Amino acid sequence: MLYCVLLILVSSCKDRSTAHTAFYFWKTVFQLKPGEKELLRSAANNRLYLRFFDIVWNKQELQALPNGVIAFKESVSALSITPVIYITNQSLQQTAPSGIDSLAFKANRLLVRLAAENGIVYKDIQIDCDWSVSTKTRYFAFLRAFKRYNRKKLEATIRLHQVKYPERTGVPPVDKGLLMFYNMGKISAALNVRNSIYNPEDAAAYIAALPHYHLPLDVALPAFSWAIQIRADKVVQSYAKISLAELSNPQNFEQISSGSLSVPAFTALKSFYLKGVYVKTGDVFKFEGTDHEILAAAAKQVSAYLAPLNNRTVIYYEISSVNLLPLYAKDIKEISAHF
Amino acid sequence: MQKISKKFLLIFSLAVISAAGVVWACGGGDWDESEYSNFSPEAFVDHQYSPFFYNSWQSYYGSDFNDDSNTRYNQQVADEWNVYLDSKIRQKDLHTLLFKSSYAEIDSSYRYFKGDLKILPDSLSSLKSSGLTKKQRSTFFEYLLLAKKCEQFAVSNQTYYWDEKVTFVSPEPEVNVSLLKAFKKSHDPFIRQRYWFQLIRYAYFEELPALNADSSAGPDQSGLVTLFNKYQKSFPKNSMYYRALGYLAGHYYKRQDFARANYLYSLCYNFSSEMKIPSKWSFHPQDEKDWEESLMLAKNKEEKITLWHMMGIVQDENRAIENIYALDPKSEKLDLLLSRLINQIEAPNAEVYRDSTTQIKITKEDIALVDRIALKGDIKKPYYWNMAAGYLHVLTGDVAAAGKFYRQAKQQLPANNRLAEAQYRLLNWNLYLSGLKKIDSETETEMVPDLNWLADLRDQKDTLANLRYQRALSESINLLSRLYKKQGQLLKSECFQTSTAFYVKNENIDAMKSLLGKTNQTPFEKAMLRYYPYDPGDLYYHQGLMLVYQEKTDAAIALWEKSGENATFDLLANPFNGRINDCHDCDFEALQTKKYTALDVLKTIKAIKAEIAAGKNLYTNNLLLGNVYYNITHYGNARVFYQTAITGSDATSPMDIPLEFRSRFTSSAIAEKYYLRARSAAKTATQQARCTFMAAKCERNDIYNETFNDPANEKKYYWDIDFTTAYATRYFADLYTRYRNTAFYREVIQECGYFKSYVNGQ
Repeated sequence: MLYCVLLILVSSCKDRSTAHTAFYFWKTVFQLKPGEKELLRSAANNRLYLRFFDIVWNKQELQALPNGVIAFKESVSALSITPVIYITNQSLQQTAPSGIDSLAFKANRLLVRLAAENGIVYKDIQIDCDWSVSTKTRYFAFLRAFKRYNRKKLEATIRLHQVKYPERTGVPPVDKGLLMFYNMGKISAALNVRNSIYNPEDAAAYIAALPHYHLPLDVALPAFSWAIQIRADKVVQSYAKISLAELSNPQNFEQISSGSLSVPAFTALKSFYLKGVYVKTGDVFKFEGTDHEILAAAAKQVSAYLAPLNNRTVIYYEISSVNLLPLYAKDIKEISAHF
Repeated sequence: MQKISKKFLLIFSLAVISAAGVVWACGGGDWDESEYSNFSPEAFVDHQYSPFFYNSWQSYYGSDFNDDSNTRYNQQVADEWNVYLDSKIRQKDLHTLLFKSSYAEIDSSYRYFKGDLKILPDSLSSLKSSGLTKKQRSTFFEYLLLAKKCEQFAVSNQTYYWDEKVTFVSPEPEVNVSLLKAFKKSHDPFIRQRYWFQLIRYAYFEELPALNADSSAGPDQSGLVTLFNKYQKSFPKNSMYYRALGYLAGHYYKRQDFARANYLYSLCYNFSSEMKIPSKWSFHPQDEKDWEESLMLAKNKEEKITLWHMMGIVQDENRAIENIYALDPKSEKLDLLLSRLINQIEAPNAEVYRDSTTQIKITKEDIALVDRIALKGDIKKPYYWNMAAGYLHVLTGDVAAAGKFYRQAKQQLPANNRLAEAQYRLLNWNLYLSGLKKIDSETETEMVPDLNWLADLRDQKDTLANLRYQRALSESINLLSRLYKKQGQLLKSECFQTSTAFYVKNENIDAMKSLLGKTNQTPFEKAMLRYYPYDPGDLYYHQGLMLVYQEKTDAAIALWEKSGENATFDLLANPFNGRINDCHDCDFEALQTKKYTALDVLKTIKAIKAEIAAGKNLYTNNLLLGNVYYNITHYGNARVFYQTAITGSDATSPMDIPLEFRSRFTSSAIAEKYYLRARSAAKTATQQARCTFMAAKCERNDIYNETFNDPANEKKYYWDIDFTTAYATRYFADLYTRYRNTAFYREVIQECGYFKSYVNGQ
């Protein structure tokens, strides 16, 4: 019965979608390239979720402090901005429960100041945190305190594991949630594993619990790619700056041809520097990313399970990598129309 | 039991050692490199490179460096001024003036010397007695005043606090004008070079915002470059010169001229210890092209070597060694790279944590390179390369090849270098163990000196700063213990590495007691027993303890009387008390008119049993026995009674008690027996109710024990097991049906929610 209802929803939603599109901006210096500006305007009506600062634990000062505070190189007056604060688990773990209220107070004060200085008028605030069972109590206390200090609508990011086990990880005390529909799996050195950014099989393991989640949910979709460097069967690092084109250069890399690989992989033929990354002979690079087709499938999959919601926001992470995929305004509108 | 390091837990198995692999288990937290390493870089590499010794978890190795950009040159600067001013200002005042004083304080001091002010600032009052000449005063203070103004933009606190706004302080053009004027006016080379440095630094910070905004390289018309080039030849190549060069490098870096920037950073790196950390930190070749261009910029072999050395530290030791060796086999810049190569190979990694059978991975390229150079032998420290090659072969399990390299190394060891000798001895011992397949009396005799030496190192009887011996120590005790076990020599196996199972059998303990008590121990036995952690007293206590739970009180007392201090420590609470709700902390805090030692407890049990045998106070005495046998279980207030190094001293959950002793220390059967006897002897219903309730606690403990030990719960956390409705129904039913009208019953209902909820469910 439920299944039938969902089917009806899917087929009907696409025609009269009320969803809004938005992008994330996650760098520390705010400046958009002309192409990004155009994309933001045409695909998202200038809606931007802008990371204002992170809150991290400072080992020297022994306190949670802002980090990577955004610097504005150009005006945001034409944009409709939602400020985002990212808070690390460690800063919650290390801050004494009695210090949480003042942390929220200071975070809000900084946010208000940054907004005021740059003429940003906002309606919502988003807090991003990969909270766990052990930080739940403090994080939720932080959110409640934050809401007390800043009366705006509060949204918290929800990772897939938090949807699956809400009884364990709790549901944050906020007005709405933002489902991060990506990072399905661990970044792995194995080659025969599925795309860790998005794959329908791993996603399926989480989304069954979605219809019952106790918050209205916006959705974030992955519009990024990375190359994962693997040496001696161990992951060295992942790099967004290395593209498929660079890995496809036969002078430097040889593609690993195996039918069982779900993402392309390459072996380095020599030791050399590439965009500041040192590549050693024999290093393996796995390329993971998304494109129009994958995102459409993801949108279709997740929208079928979300409880109905008008004016849902679909946020793409993140604007500077969209051009690299590439993804066009038309594609994005089409993908968002699934919601 | 393992010898467990607080920071890191190492387990080495025989099978794995002989296969040249290592098993690791992470105890969590940070660790010290020396815990897993057999190869001390300090034995081979010049101290100035020590921050770059391989470190698996921090940016820099050790604590012997200053990584604060605002202060790293302070001492050098003070020393230079001290020489320049002919030591006429006391060191303390010089430091204050250079690094602590405000502009106003410097200004006041200067005005004092000029006669404009009558007193010196408080912090500088002792300047009065400085013997500076008038010329020295004016040169120094005028420079200092300008330098202080430059600190506004050049010295910054990068931490972004909540309450402040860190803004970029732009250099003021007037400062530049003054600097330039002073520079042109000064003829003294020392001062003139300092003004030159200040001008270059000013130029860097002045152009920084523009370069940050747009680094696209147009024609480079920077005043910084002109200033540097125009005057660089007029000054000696000292620290001022290289610090100025660092800003020039920064300029090229910001313009994305990475080839030039990295080349200049390598020159700075090479200049001094102080400049090594910032130069290495800034060194970032981007593409192979700019890296090759950096190499082209090098003016000679030495400069090329430094470039390769830096790329080696940051990215590829093997490639760097290969290239440096080709340029100059005798280069000392090879040393650090080789130590890093070896330390990285022997370091643990996440895969090894997860899968203990994972072997250390050594690429054939690495081993071939080290072999080739060691065999050629044309390097500066051939013993170092031979030891490194030998060690790599040990790690791959090729004991014969390793032996050859080590024999070479032994011939080449430098005289009077204790650390190098000790390093050799340690590696050779490690090789010896790797080849050991069977231990007989001959091998035992062979091992005596090294076993004693390792124990001396452990006990700090022999100290060799920086020798990494912890891994060899852990490997040795694990390997020897396992070999002996394999040979069926349990006693010797136990001496090197204790195991709980050994103490289950009384004959094992007796055998160990005789070995410990042997008057004519062989040198090997003496060395071996230095690894055994227990003394006879510990063993007597353990044997007695086992008898306590068999109610063989007299025999237990006899053993404990030989156990020294083991049985004479005070218990934390009175174990003869019983309470409705177990609360150990309440018992610890309760007023204790008599403190019981473990031995006192046994003697009191003996006395009570004698009274019972004589038919006296049967209710009270049996109740006391019930209480004491309850309290010396896991659930009672006297856990320390049974918690020893042998039985495990830190169990907070019954599941943490070694399986060998778990049922003994968790069972309340003896207590229950005495509570029931007390109930039979009771004269009032309230007394009977009390005994019934105490027996119910024993029944409930049985439920805990059964549930915790149930294989179905093996993978559950204790908080995932639900006991809320697991009632001690046998005795609760009794209490509920037979004693509902007693005062004690009402007390229980008040105190014990568990019973109350049982009653509510009836």
